[in-house]
Amino acid sequence: MKQKIWPILLLALLLFIPLGFIQNQINYETIAYDLQTNLLLMPGEAGDMVLAGFKGIAADLLWINVENYWHTGQHFKMIPLFNMVTYLQPHWILAWSLGGWHMAYNVAADVKTVQGKYYWYQQGVQYLKRGVSYNPNKYDLYFELGWTYYNKGLDYSNSVRFLKQAVMYPCPSYVRDVLAHAYEKNGEINKAMEEWQKLLKTDFKGVAKRMIYDLKTRGWATP
Amino acid sequence: MKKIWILACNTVKESFRKKTTYIIVLFALIMIASSEFFAFLSSTEQYKMITDTSFAVIEFFGFLLAMFGSISAVSSEIEKRTIYTLLTKPITRTNFVLGKYLGMFFILLINFSIMAVFFVGLLHFKKIPMDSGTFKALFLIFVEILVIASISLSLATFTSDAFNIIASSFIYIIGHLTGYGRQIIGMTKNIAVKGLADMMYTILPNYQNFTIRDKVVVGIPIPWQYVIIVTGYGIMYIVIALLIGIYFFRTREI
Amino acid sequence: MAIIETKDLTKIYTIGRKRTVVGLDHLTLEIEEGELFGILGPNGSGKTTCLKLLLGTLFPTSGEAYIMGKTPYDVSMKKEVGFLPENPYYYEYLTGRELLIFYGKLFDMDKDALNEKIEELLNLVGLHNTQKLSLRHYSKGMLERIGLAASLINDPKILILDEPTTGLDPIGCRDTRNLLIQLKEMGKTILLSSHFLSEVERVCSRIAILHRGLLLALGRLDELMSKYKSSNLEDLFVKTINEYDEKIKSQGVAQ
Repeated sequence: MKQKIWPILLLALLLFIPLGFIQNQINYETIAYDLQTNLLLMPGEAGDMVLAGFKGIAADLLWINVENYWHTGQHFKMIPLFNMVTYLQPHWILAWSLGGWHMAYNVAADVKTVQGKYYWYQQGVQYLKRGVSYNPNKYDLYFELGWTYYNKGLDYSNSVRFLKQAVMYPCPSYVRDVLAHAYEKNGEINKAMEEWQKLLKTDFKGVAKRMIYDLKTRGWATP
Repeated sequence: MKKIWILACNTVKESFRKKTTYIIVLFALIMIASSEFFAFLSSTEQYKMITDTSFAVIEFFGFLLAMFGSISAVSSEIEKRTIYTLLTKPITRTNFVLGKYLGMFFILLINFSIMAVFFVGLLHFKKIPMDSGTFKALFLIFVEILVIASISLSLATFTSDAFNIIASSFIYIIGHLTGYGRQIIGMTKNIAVKGLADMMYTILPNYQNFTIRDKVVVGIPIPWQYVIIVTGYGIMYIVIALLIGIYFFRTREI
Repeated sequence: MAIIETKDLTKIYTIGRKRTVVGLDHLTLEIEEGELFGILGPNGSGKTTCLKLLLGTLFPTSGEAYIMGKTPYDVSMKKEVGFLPENPYYYEYLTGRELLIFYGKLFDMDKDALNEKIEELLNLVGLHNTQKLSLRHYSKGMLERIGLAASLINDPKILILDEPTTGLDPIGCRDTRNLLIQLKEMGKTILLSSHFLSEVERVCSRIAILHRGLLLALGRLDELMSKYKSSNLEDLFVKTINEYDEKIKSQGVAQ
């Protein structure tokens, strides 16, 4: 009078085989669409959160510490945290751009020697470049790089190099404006002219008009 | 099918009259609302943190609802001995398990919707930009919660409550780590260890599949294809868990 | 053919790894249609085990059990059976009426027939005034009565009652007894288990006495009484059980 129920269990176990195939497909897609997460074990709060799968929250907690250190002027302490945050969430662009800015500007300003300042400027640039390698399809970090070269390093050829890449992706008009300025500073007046002319059709019309006028009448537009 | 529906309705009724779920959902709403705490940050930072926290809160409280809901749905019947009477009515044990799960589905759907609507309302109110990714992430969190419910329900048919809570929580944590485990296992050369690890990897639910919220928050586009295949994975896992639950419930003496 | 039938029905519980306890030992019973059959026995004698095996909530170690020729796993059998468990507990978040609606729906009853039946049953068990009260506030006697109503919701051919009179006051007992007689007259087969002797004595047409899982006596009440030379059921009950215990003891000494 026993019931025959083992086939249910057998069916359940057999279904794990197609499940395995589905998992394989998912693994393939996570790589294809760049949805992977990095392995990171850390002591303390943040580490526990990572373990339970709350990577975003872990990054946020670290980021709050970054903010704290910044507002209390402890700039050097921010640096390891930047690395952790971007390791946890390499696609969080704000972390890269703010990190690079902090290094090249704020930390560099804290250092007294010229070599030291140059060192931290380079660190910031390197950090941004790493960010670019993770986020190559967005304008943000190309622009940050270009701007840091332009504004902090006065390295116009490199600035042009990255800003040119930035405008290849959808971006706000000021990016192109900065590119035009960089062209001009780099001595490529004609290209600067072209960029401003492109800007005539956008919300940067007013600025572009003035720049073109200055360039034509005075021969220079950027002070 | 009609009997499964009747059992499901009774489960939903129980959940609403017992009021414990309200408390959990209320807590979740308070937590989501308290992400306002990040107001000291600049607005761009704040956006990320509010969405991060809200997603995490919804998932975690969804996990609690799914686990405790499923456990109480089955074990309250057994502990209160209502099951003696119920099983002498013309329903099969399979009906019972499926009815309970369908009931859990509706309970979770209702409570999840409350949390999700509150969250979307908050984003809208704070003028935080939303795209389809936000909804994809919410949807996959819901599928994950359904998988958690099916596992807890299945365990509840043959284990004690205390063991079930420990096992479900353990599976929840491990389920988020299997991906990492695989990265580590990939480096070992011992075939036996590797085979065993691969087997564990297939058997344990891979909750990390559903965790796209961290990606959505930083603006990585999630293709529909991925959402669909992960949903397929979830459904498959639910079927397996329920089959196992049915098997053990049919062998159980009440 | 008998409407309820067991053949060598045996249930051995395993406690721990090696210890076993015999719940029911090769029980063979046949209960005819229209009978009011009583299973008697002290606590732990296997009464409830027997009923649970018949209804399929427990699985037999060996032997067979049939109701209307169907195994306990057959859902169609359950449509014709009403069951009242010992110490009934019901969904305390439901009201009395909702409980009956819930069970009625499980029997595929349509709305009108169900409402009619519920009115009838609530009047029968005298809970018409408290039907909108949630079961949390019911007294033990009220729970017993709503349980009886619930077991009758499908107008069953066979009624299986586990200790139907525990927790009832004397008036409740009398009402239940009268109801049982009434139901028997309607042609229903009733199987009840009890250790509440005086009640059973008055209503059962046949009885079985179980002790430690063994069937000690089976037959019509008057036949058994003359066989064991006892004047009432209580006497009969004590006599059979003592006789068995002494036999076991002497065997134990002999070994």
